[in-house]
Amino acid sequence: MSDLGDYLRKQREQRRQSDPQFSLRKVAQRIGVQPSYLSKVERGSEGSPSEETLRRLAEDLNEDADILLALGGKISTDLASIIRKRPKLFAELIRDLKDIPDHAVLRIVREVRDGNW
Amino acid sequence: MIGLSHDSLEFSFPEVHPEAKLNIQFQRTLRIPDDGTDYPLPAGLGEFPIEHVDDYLRTVPDRWLEHGGVMLPMYQSEAMWINFQSTFLTDHDTCYPFAVKIAAGKIDAVTGKPWTNHLRRQPQNYLQVPSQPWLDGFSIEQGVIRQFVAMPLGGGYTAEEQITGGAEFGGLQIMVMPMRRKAFERYHPVVQSFQKAVRQTAEVHCFSPPPCSFLESEMEMGLGAGGRMRQQIYDDQYKLADWETKQSSRCFVHLTNSETWCQITGKYPPTKPPTATSYEQAGMPWFDWYEDKPAVGGSATLRSLKSVVQVDKVNNEKPVIDNDPIAIEKVTHLRESLSKGQVREGQF
Repeated sequence: MSDLGDYLRKQREQRRQSDPQFSLRKVAQRIGVQPSYLSKVERGSEGSPSEETLRRLAEDLNEDADILLALGGKISTDLASIIRKRPKLFAELIRDLKDIPDHAVLRIVREVRDGNW
Repeated sequence: MIGLSHDSLEFSFPEVHPEAKLNIQFQRTLRIPDDGTDYPLPAGLGEFPIEHVDDYLRTVPDRWLEHGGVMLPMYQSEAMWINFQSTFLTDHDTCYPFAVKIAAGKIDAVTGKPWTNHLRRQPQNYLQVPSQPWLDGFSIEQGVIRQFVAMPLGGGYTAEEQITGGAEFGGLQIMVMPMRRKAFERYHPVVQSFQKAVRQTAEVHCFSPPPCSFLESEMEMGLGAGGRMRQQIYDDQYKLADWETKQSSRCFVHLTNSETWCQITGKYPPTKPPTATSYEQAGMPWFDWYEDKPAVGGSATLRSLKSVVQVDKVNNEKPVIDNDPIAIEKVTHLRESLSKGQVREGQF
């Protein structure tokens, strides 16, 4: 079982206990895939779904799309595009931040930036 | 550094003092009539929502990204006051002091002069917090301001356009400098526990404020001069050298009209504020702030500004909202460091 499959199955099953709309079949129907495909994804016997499918899954399960994408080994298109524009800067930035605690990263990210005026 | 938390800008200077923190909020309020009367302070009607401009790279103009900072939505009928809240240090029995520069469209709201990154004393071009608990507008005379009122940039209403002839910046600019730590500890040494206990019973307050598409340039707002209001800009009682000028932080606050806010952020702006007439009819409170402290004189440049109503008259424009005079029945008087009903003890 893959990390993504394991996570998806747990989240979906948790919701199904209180709402039958979260059965494998109903979720697959809503996100536009075959139930057999979703079942394989959950068991880890299928490769990671496309970004679009993962986003639809995230929306249906009310999960964070970036987390599902990361579990599926993908980086969202908008992030990839941001990094491609300034690859050296962002690569250095991410490497520098890798060991910093979450609260410290949040502090950096949420800082109000002064510009040129 | 500057952080944004719960629609409040948090300026902190841990390199100067761990408690050197100043919060600034932008309070929504109604537009007082511009009829020659000096009105008291209306209450705050909630904080403006604030967002980082960097969070909306695709929908804000490039120059906003160049300026950095934050943005907030204002209705044309709306006014703003700026609330200052510095950290109270129990051991020192005072709030940490800051020098704060405020400008609209890069025109200094205290002196009417073009923006600089420097503090000056004659004339004083900054506010001293916590002595100054808030600012409601442009300083035009000693003890009188003209209210900050949102108007579209490019219409000739804003202070920036009237003084510079251009509509280049708009928005609001803020710069904060903390007091040097040595100066702070010299003026405000740690108080003895006995003294602290006595003062704490008096319920000390540093201040107590009354309770998606690309953006078109004409959607930007600037601040014009509204009605007259009683408000002192207090003289700085410290020395210029007491301020840590090398540790300043600046923030550009972009103003957008409420429709454009929706386009940029996908979020609804707050509801429209009441008019002054409906505010008074609803029995809402008005305030006066009294302080026995010297105040700076107003700016002749800012005094010569045409108010929004005066510009409308010159242009034969119909005012956006009613400007009927109102008779205020009850004003609540506030004082620094005193709870309601408390008798002030002076020097004798």
